[in-house]
Amino acid sequence: MIAFGTSSQVAALVFTLLSMGLFLCGLSRNNLRLIQAGKRALISAAIATTLASVALAYLFLTDNFQVEYVASYSDRALPLFYKITAFWAGQKGSLLFWAWVLSLFIALVIFNNRRETNDRNTPYLYLVLAGTLSFFLFLLCAISNPFETLAFMPQDGGGLNPMLQNPGMVFHPPTLFLGYIGFTVPFAYAIAAMITGTTDAGWIRKTRAWNVLSWIFLSIGIILGGQWAYVELGWGGYWAWDPVENASFIPWLVSTAFIHTAILQERRGIMKVWNVVLILLTFVLCIFGTYLVRSGILQSVHDFGSTGLGGYFLFFMVVVLVGGLYLLAESYGEFKTPGSVESYLSRESTFLFNNVILLALAFATLLGTVFPIISEAMTGNKITVGQPFFNQVNTPLFLILILLTGICPLIGWRKASVSNLRRNFLRPALTALLSGIIMAVFGIREFYALLAFTFSAFVGATIVQEYLTAIRSRKKLTGESSPSAAVKLLWRMRRRYGGHIVHFGLAMMVIGITASSAYKLETQGTLRQGESLTIGDFELKYENFRTYKKYNRTIYAAQLGVFKDGSRIDVLEAERRHYVNAKQPTTEVAIRSTLAQDLYVTMPGIGNGNEITLKVAVNPLLIWIWFGSGLMVLGGILAIIPSRRKQS
Amino acid sequence: MKKSNRKVLIAVLVLLTGVGFLIYRGLANTSVYYMTVSELKTSALGMKLGADQAVRVGGLVLDGDIDYNQRDLVLRFSIKDEKNPQQIIAALYNGAKPDSFEPEIEALLEGTYDREKNLFLADTLLVKCPSKYESDPKNKQEVGQ
Repeated sequence: MIAFGTSSQVAALVFTLLSMGLFLCGLSRNNLRLIQAGKRALISAAIATTLASVALAYLFLTDNFQVEYVASYSDRALPLFYKITAFWAGQKGSLLFWAWVLSLFIALVIFNNRRETNDRNTPYLYLVLAGTLSFFLFLLCAISNPFETLAFMPQDGGGLNPMLQNPGMVFHPPTLFLGYIGFTVPFAYAIAAMITGTTDAGWIRKTRAWNVLSWIFLSIGIILGGQWAYVELGWGGYWAWDPVENASFIPWLVSTAFIHTAILQERRGIMKVWNVVLILLTFVLCIFGTYLVRSGILQSVHDFGSTGLGGYFLFFMVVVLVGGLYLLAESYGEFKTPGSVESYLSRESTFLFNNVILLALAFATLLGTVFPIISEAMTGNKITVGQPFFNQVNTPLFLILILLTGICPLIGWRKASVSNLRRNFLRPALTALLSGIIMAVFGIREFYALLAFTFSAFVGATIVQEYLTAIRSRKKLTGESSPSAAVKLLWRMRRRYGGHIVHFGLAMMVIGITASSAYKLETQGTLRQGESLTIGDFELKYENFRTYKKYNRTIYAAQLGVFKDGSRIDVLEAERRHYVNAKQPTTEVAIRSTLAQDLYVTMPGIGNGNEITLKVAVNPLLIWIWFGSGLMVLGGILAIIPSRRKQS
Repeated sequence: MKKSNRKVLIAVLVLLTGVGFLIYRGLANTSVYYMTVSELKTSALGMKLGADQAVRVGGLVLDGDIDYNQRDLVLRFSIKDEKNPQQIIAALYNGAKPDSFEPEIEALLEGTYDREKNLFLADTLLVKCPSKYESDPKNKQEVGQ
């Protein structure tokens, strides 16, 4: 099976290189049959990477510790589920996963374009995709082979890091990868368009669809990472502006910018050059992020070790950047569009401002992330910025972004009239103002927090108003009942309402982030059995202690009664777990989540006579972050379900 | 240039100026030096740092003198320079010991340094995730025995 895996990888590389040769020959001789053969070679490469992946999964399932990678990330005691997911626990497996998914995406692109045999763009598209795939396959075959064997057969493996034995962590890396990998497709479309000089309606539609799809995966990946940090790490937060987190957030911001200006290109035929720039930038930032993570040049809590892959990613990034900019300069004349934004009071201009803010966020985050490198190069001293920098700079920018999110749907295309504006703005603005005043009266005095709540209310009110108006006019038109009109509207105009749902989710997230960071309560204390501790309206009583074994771990659990107004409303169990292969116990967080607040308990210490030390926090409205981000993902999914009319 | 275009352009420029100001202010207010243990103790720049000036220092957790009071959540330990292990700073952190904290692990501390007492008062303590993120040769040997 080891030899089978290795040779599958090599076969995939050979097929990919072969396909590149076929595409190049086909293009230079204008021979369609060679292009067809190239596609078949790429499909074969996808089959080969699939076989290699199956082989690696099989080696994990059969505890074949002769394979160095399996021995490093699995052991006999590991539950079956985690044996499969240990596949991508380390760098080598992640690379194979990357190549596998990329090859499947390529097969999907080929399938999607199966009817477009005469399209000028597609051969270049496949060529760029194959080129990217060959880069990853080369790394797998030559530099970082997951099928590498040890000189001996160990009795057992080293086991999987206990912190990675969590459902959130299982799906966090692959969804992030799916996002990163997905952005290869818009990138390839952009390169192809720059070579041929054509971007038609089909081009922007497909590019945008792939971009939204990748955006969805990237969003899920980022959210799962935050959720994992929150429920597993026990420091009470979900985002720390760590370089590795930023590496995923920066391309997310740029792709979000593209999703918006792509609409301008679709509707008005403008911003073609800008859109290509955003696509290139997104892809380059994905590669740059991978480089940051894999090179170890930045101080991060995510330590992937500096494994010598960094240089290759840097090289690849430079090739992409230089090649992309060269092609852009060459094709600039063909893409330049005569149209422009007609009025600063138009939806177009809000999209423009939205792009400025999103890119400013991306730039500030990138600058803060690489600041140690820049400052060391310029002054010889490493200067770092931490969470305070990102919070200070990004919070006001986000507030403007939220305000724009609310304003945008209220302003018409091209040029809005004043009467039209007055009618549209009246109710949402009043709602927002009123909720702002009510909150101020009830003691919300933090300036940014008050703004964030008010703007979020504005966004929500805008969307609700738009939806209700549309339902009313649909009822008038079709005579349907309200619920039926509401549902049909959502489905028939799913791209528009998908977008609205994303924005609604964003507003919820902003509320959750603001409330849980500005109005967090924290305390700590040491308790003997029977004693209790108070935080906010809650009282926590240490009732019981037990020790037991489960799967591959020993668990020390303290039972805590949760009291509110004197009555026992819930019970929590804070744990410390000792995994078989781990040197020391890990903290297991106990969380009581309600719509109003999260009660968040960790037990950093267990002393003599089962005396326990607790850290307790109350995070108001925290669950809104997860609901909001869930809505954002659902809205994105709704928006890219293809409509049948367009296909026929 | 059309009048409407000019207005949009001006608005964008105003936005960009604001962004530039935010970033400048952010850097001026929040940036801190990052130093290794020996840089903090011996370099000219390190010597100049005041006792109340925030600094970030990185080093390896010294084996042998970790003292964790899990009642009051006070962690005392020392960090040594990665390249010059004889350069050592004592550290005090008020907070829970991170799960992956152990001897020889790389730690990042942010806080202030009291040169006279050779004591670093850490407001934040970050430790790298343990070695199993990436296999290290020591683990492999253990596996083999």
